Amino acid sequence: MISADIWASMPLIIIAAGIIFVLLLGAFVPGRHGTITGVILLLASALWTLRTPPLPVAPLLGIAFTPFARFFILLFSLTALITLLLSHDYNKRRGIHGEEYPATVLFATFGMVVLATSANLLNLFLGLEGLTFAFYILTAIDRNSPDSTEAGLKYLLQGAVSAALIAFGIALLYAGVGTLEINAAMKSVASGGKTVPVAYAGWGFLLMGLAFKVSLVPAHLWTPDVYQGAPTPVVAFLSTGSKAAGFAALLLLLPAMGSGISMLHTPLCCLSLFSMVLGNLAALRQQNLKRMLAYSSIAQMGYLTLALLTGIREGFAAVILYVVIYTAMNLSAFGAISSLTGENRLEDVEDFRGVGFSRPLQGGVLALSMFALAGIPPTAGFIGKFAIFAAALKGNELPLAVIGIITALISVYYYLRVVALLYMQPADGEKLSNQATVSEMIALCATSAVILLLGVYPGPLLELIDSILR
Amino acid sequence: MEQVVFYILAAVVLIATLFSITEKHAVHAIIYLATSFFALAVIFYLLNAPLVAVFEVIIYAGAIMVLFLFVIMMLELGHPEKILLPGVRDWAPALLLGVVTLAAFILLVLHHPPPALPANPVKIRDFATVLFRKYGVAVEIVSMQLLFALVGALYLGRRK
Repeated sequence: MISADIWASMPLIIIAAGIIFVLLLGAFVPGRHGTITGVILLLASALWTLRTPPLPVAPLLGIAFTPFARFFILLFSLTALITLLLSHDYNKRRGIHGEEYPATVLFATFGMVVLATSANLLNLFLGLEGLTFAFYILTAIDRNSPDSTEAGLKYLLQGAVSAALIAFGIALLYAGVGTLEINAAMKSVASGGKTVPVAYAGWGFLLMGLAFKVSLVPAHLWTPDVYQGAPTPVVAFLSTGSKAAGFAALLLLLPAMGSGISMLHTPLCCLSLFSMVLGNLAALRQQNLKRMLAYSSIAQMGYLTLALLTGIREGFAAVILYVVIYTAMNLSAFGAISSLTGENRLEDVEDFRGVGFSRPLQGGVLALSMFALAGIPPTAGFIGKFAIFAAALKGNELPLAVIGIITALISVYYYLRVVALLYMQPADGEKLSNQATVSEMIALCATSAVILLLGVYPGPLLELIDSILR
Repeated sequence: MEQVVFYILAAVVLIATLFSITEKHAVHAIIYLATSFFALAVIFYLLNAPLVAVFEVIIYAGAIMVLFLFVIMMLELGHPEKILLPGVRDWAPALLLGVVTLAAFILLVLHHPPPALPANPVKIRDFATVLFRKYGVAVEIVSMQLLFALVGALYLGRRK
């Protein structure tokens, strides 16, 4: 191991050391200072990532500190930071104590960072499993609520199957191409126009496993139940961080295949089509806001897959752009819900009647995120959807793009229904909602600012994304 | 002959695994799973990977399965009302599969001249070098994951 290797693995080391520190801190001052330590650590890792230029691949370690990895480490660190800010007071209100919570959030981030920096399939798998593992714990962490435990169990059982699928898929890929190096393996999967049959089978398993991680139809069944049962800040993290990580994995694999991506065209088309149609139609019928957002996130993942399957550079750029925007949107939406949740759990869409007047900040953020998710300008959601459909048209995916636009129009109904309930109707016999605390205000304002800023001035981010795609 | 033995063992693995997921009694299922691991170990031996074969037996069939059995017996997840000696019908398939595996193994060791060693067989030292050099980061990541398995189990299992 040389010093360059240590530099390359520094983000991992910072977060791993931080996890141990938070756990040890718990032994001396149980259940205190966990959040603030976590926030400082994540800031440190984000700052370190910003300050360090990209490094060449460290072949000895199987990790690479590429511009791509830098971008995603930054995204994951900030997502986890917002999550910690959101969950600090929520956990106090819901009686979730202990340093295990911040430590597990940090561990999920660790898994995501491993995934973003991985240069071989083994590390990719371990990163993916590490973060899913953390989410098994986080989903079930509210021991006062049977729903949370149930959601944890459902997620664990289906997640175990998907882990097996991914592991088997990677094993078959290895059997087919004889290397775990991502770039080399992906190149030789479809070298010279003909596919290695075993590797083809491997990709099938891998794709199904990854479809579970990002909840694409038909591997989406866990999503509504888990979103409904898990603590809301956890859902905010799960629906953004783990989805972004899933797409980071796909973005590490697919562009390396070059023109070989055409072999995955049909399966990706099916995943995208079913997710867009089923997600949006099912969301129309939901009465529970968290379930509605679960189906909406399935649909959003369908849009991302649509941009991904074009296989062109603009498509990959649109995926990264939309992942960033989607992260901001869902963090605001679930952040607002979690900050409104006090003694009462506000879950039904009807519960939010008139909240826009009684809680202007949270109501406003929720409304803004609904506008963004619906893709209404001048929010960032519009820019993201525009980039996706433009890429799809450029990649000659006209039928899918048209279906996507139609389903996006349908989705406007259920998003705006929430806004209408928030503002158009007076509150009658409303449930008592919670006032935002300082840390929640910071988090909500930050994500809202991102939504608005990217909506009116996306230029710098677009240039950055263009520069990280080799 | 090697091919024939391989197919027999592969059939044993598949049948034993199938039984282990269809079997209702948890302890029986684990016995079938252990049987399947043993057959898999012999397949690895057949593939000139004695080290992996030994790991398969020690770690999977040995440590993990015994841990499973221990936990199940501790939690009494098996049917306590049926604590009778298992009947012939219960243990016959497992015994049959086990005997086939054992027979294959003995056949391989005795009849087959020790499989022609490759020019440079993989020694434990090579294995360790690859594991801790090339995949050293992976080992560290797995150890973090195990730590969190512990943290999660402790947190979720703690009494309120």
